[in-house]
Amino acid sequence: MLKYIFKRILIFIPTLLIISMFLFSLSNLAPGDPVELRLSGGLAAGSGQLADQLAGDRAYVDLQKKMGLHLPTFYFKIVTKAYPDTLHKIPKKNERKNLKQLISQYGNWNEIYSYYKSIKTLEYSLFNVNNESYKSDIRTIKENCVALYRIYDDKKINTIINEINDIINRNKWISQDSIQNIKTIIQNSLILKSNYDIVKNNQTTFLNKIPKILWFGKKNQYHRWLLGEAPWFKKGEVGQSKGFVRLDFGYSYLDGRPVKSIILDAVRWTVIINIITIILAYLISIPIGVITAVKKGTTFDKVTTTILFMLYSLPSFWVATILIIFITTDEYGMNFFPTYGLGNLESFWDLSYHLILPVFCLVYGSFAFISRQMRGSILDVIQQDYIRTAKAKGLKEKVIIWKHAFRNSLIPIITMFANLLPWMISGSVIVEIIFSIPGMGQASYTSVIARNYPVLFTIVMFSAILTIVGILLADIIYALVDPRIKFDKK
Amino acid sequence: MTKNKKNINEESYWNIVKKQFNKNKLAVWSLKFVYIIIFLGLFADFLANDKPLYCKYQGKNYFPVLKSYSVNIGISKWPKELSNAYWKEMSYDKVIWPPIPYAAAEMDFNNSQYTGPFDEQDIISNRWRHWLGTDELGRDVLSGLIHGTRIAMLVGIISMVIASFIGILLGSLAGFFGDNKLKISLIRIILNIICLFLGMFYAFTSRSFVLGESIKISYGDFFLQFLISILIFIFIMIIGNLIVSPLKKINFLKTKYSIPVDIIICRLIEIFISIPKLLLILAIIAIVKPSILLVMVVIGATGWTGIARFIRGELLKVKNLEYIEAAKSLGYNNMRILLRHAIPNSLTPVLISIAFGIAGAILIESSLSFLGIGVPANTITWGKLLSFARQAPEAWWLAIFPGFAIFITITIFNLIGEGLTDAIDPRQKGK
Repeated sequence: MLKYIFKRILIFIPTLLIISMFLFSLSNLAPGDPVELRLSGGLAAGSGQLADQLAGDRAYVDLQKKMGLHLPTFYFKIVTKAYPDTLHKIPKKNERKNLKQLISQYGNWNEIYSYYKSIKTLEYSLFNVNNESYKSDIRTIKENCVALYRIYDDKKINTIINEINDIINRNKWISQDSIQNIKTIIQNSLILKSNYDIVKNNQTTFLNKIPKILWFGKKNQYHRWLLGEAPWFKKGEVGQSKGFVRLDFGYSYLDGRPVKSIILDAVRWTVIINIITIILAYLISIPIGVITAVKKGTTFDKVTTTILFMLYSLPSFWVATILIIFITTDEYGMNFFPTYGLGNLESFWDLSYHLILPVFCLVYGSFAFISRQMRGSILDVIQQDYIRTAKAKGLKEKVIIWKHAFRNSLIPIITMFANLLPWMISGSVIVEIIFSIPGMGQASYTSVIARNYPVLFTIVMFSAILTIVGILLADIIYALVDPRIKFDKK
Repeated sequence: MTKNKKNINEESYWNIVKKQFNKNKLAVWSLKFVYIIIFLGLFADFLANDKPLYCKYQGKNYFPVLKSYSVNIGISKWPKELSNAYWKEMSYDKVIWPPIPYAAAEMDFNNSQYTGPFDEQDIISNRWRHWLGTDELGRDVLSGLIHGTRIAMLVGIISMVIASFIGILLGSLAGFFGDNKLKISLIRIILNIICLFLGMFYAFTSRSFVLGESIKISYGDFFLQFLISILIFIFIMIIGNLIVSPLKKINFLKTKYSIPVDIIICRLIEIFISIPKLLLILAIIAIVKPSILLVMVVIGATGWTGIARFIRGELLKVKNLEYIEAAKSLGYNNMRILLRHAIPNSLTPVLISIAFGIAGAILIESSLSFLGIGVPANTITWGKLLSFARQAPEAWWLAIFPGFAIFITITIFNLIGEGLTDAIDPRQKGK
């Protein structure tokens, strides 16, 4: 038995690793730049000074480092030969993406990089002109530069570069080229144009047909997230991640709050609601299951099974919507319950009053489900030989059912508990959202919407771990309760 | 001769199943209901539309609803006088409107702001009545329900086709080969790994630019490019497997190793069932552009585990039966036995999984659209209609009817699943 448990636990590790890698790749495919998301509050429009721009870039890089997003994503990467080893060092995500597109079009990284650099130089040189008469021109050029960072289509790039040159070629620019700063701008724009022409003239697209593996080693986002970068048995520096396995779940992308505290806040409510639900569901459903099984074939059984079946098919979000509309508003004169929220957390009664409807919505489905299982399980047991023997011995019906059949039919019901977990988490997502309960379900929903991956990761990883452990526990209980089951191979 | 015999046997088995199924009155009724749903879904455009079914306009005969199909495909164009027509405001010589003369997304400005079924409606006659009321923008609820049927139907079918394909493939491999029956020579393993790498590279990494560009144009273009990628991938894999036989002559490359197919596939199933499905689908759908087709694909791609487990169990039983032994002793190879003999004989129980799966898929789709995820703004689905009710408690019709449609559909598919369970595999009941 121990050997079996050990083996099963060993098998969990790859399962969980694959789940985590899958989630990780999802977060990388997601559009949007989490660093910009975090920054957008503090970094609105600067006053147009170069110092501001540089400070903004530095803030970006610092925050990126803090969030660990400056690292390559995974241990290795399969790329084309044209791909440089150091692309992940370009800080901004959308610039990086654009460069990637250019690489796959032209395949000559060195030329592309100098083209990229010349956009930067041109953009920075624009800051040095303070002359009022150029203000609008400078702004247009600046906007065009910013646009160039995100464009890889040949036609569009040409239009923009031409537009920049058009502005510069206007008479007043040329006549004023004695001013040093203006001169630099003109030069830079010419360099930009020629650099882009070089990119296009020295294409090495064949490099895109040769595979290459980049190896990044331990310094990557996945490793940092899973195992952390702080040393294991010594005290690390401040701000170093400890990794998921050491219970450091990182920080929310939205407000920088530690994920741990977000989850701890949320998990309470989900656990409370689900525990009440499970207890109620089992309390109601076990007797119903037994009675319907015993009275199999009677009208009572048929009616009850049909009702249970209907309840089982009844979507909880519909029931919740109907309840909210009809008995929590004044519209139909039946304002009996609060519409949403948890009410006054200090008062037990107010809290329970608020929890009645959400719990009801969760209970009826699982209770229908468990009753049907219980009925099936009892029916299975009743057919067994030992029940027939008990009957033959002349035992009373009640004794047979409650002493012999009931106990044995409980086994699948107990083990079902394990499979109930993921089902309940999914179920409570919708109920929590509808009733605005700040639990795990709502946390996961809001983090999906905001693409707040650290929070989503943690929730999904935990529910995966819980489920797997639940399945294992179910198997073990099964073996403990039912001596016929052996897992060790003979 | 043998073929005939097999047919007879199969028929008789099916007859038994049919007979058993027909005993369950509820299930039979549900099946009839499914026909209604399919009818509603197929002919939604003819039942509820803002264009007339037939009209005579300026002396010419038109069939606008039919015509709109050919225009949408691109094989014909509207005549000039009808290209920008306001169908409801034209004066026809003769006209036949659909039973519900409103399209799902059409806004009736005279009856907006939640006009109820029993409220006074600003309409010419009862012919134009909104029988189930309207929503805030004046969209007809009944029309939305009819068009929503089509989406629900498509969700059920497409997702289950995908799920069955994956489930049957993986489940049968796991059940048939187990952990030590699939023996592959060393060289084939090595070449397959290399080709997998090369195939992924040339099909996807190297073409990532083309693929990325095509998705911007349309999903159709993307699927075309994706298909090309898949073909490249398959081509490379085939070439890799073709060079295996000459290399097999080298002795040490010939050594065979058994692949633990069962362990691998069971782990895969475990991975999928241990992530809460709704969360998984939410996480996938949230990163791409809303598209109902994608919702269907994702539901299918995550919903195959039940089918796989079912067919795995079935094949574990089947593979020890005499006729498989017989096929083996005739010298047929494993693939032929699996595809021609083992899988066809274990497919029936999958129907149970599919029936329950359709119910589940429709439930998930409606939950997603209820939450407003994955469904484009101009698509009306049952879940979306229901979600409108949350903003307006006074509009009880928005809460009752769409929810009822979802409930009925899920119930009938569950009932069919139940009926099939009774008919095919009564022992599975309640498990």
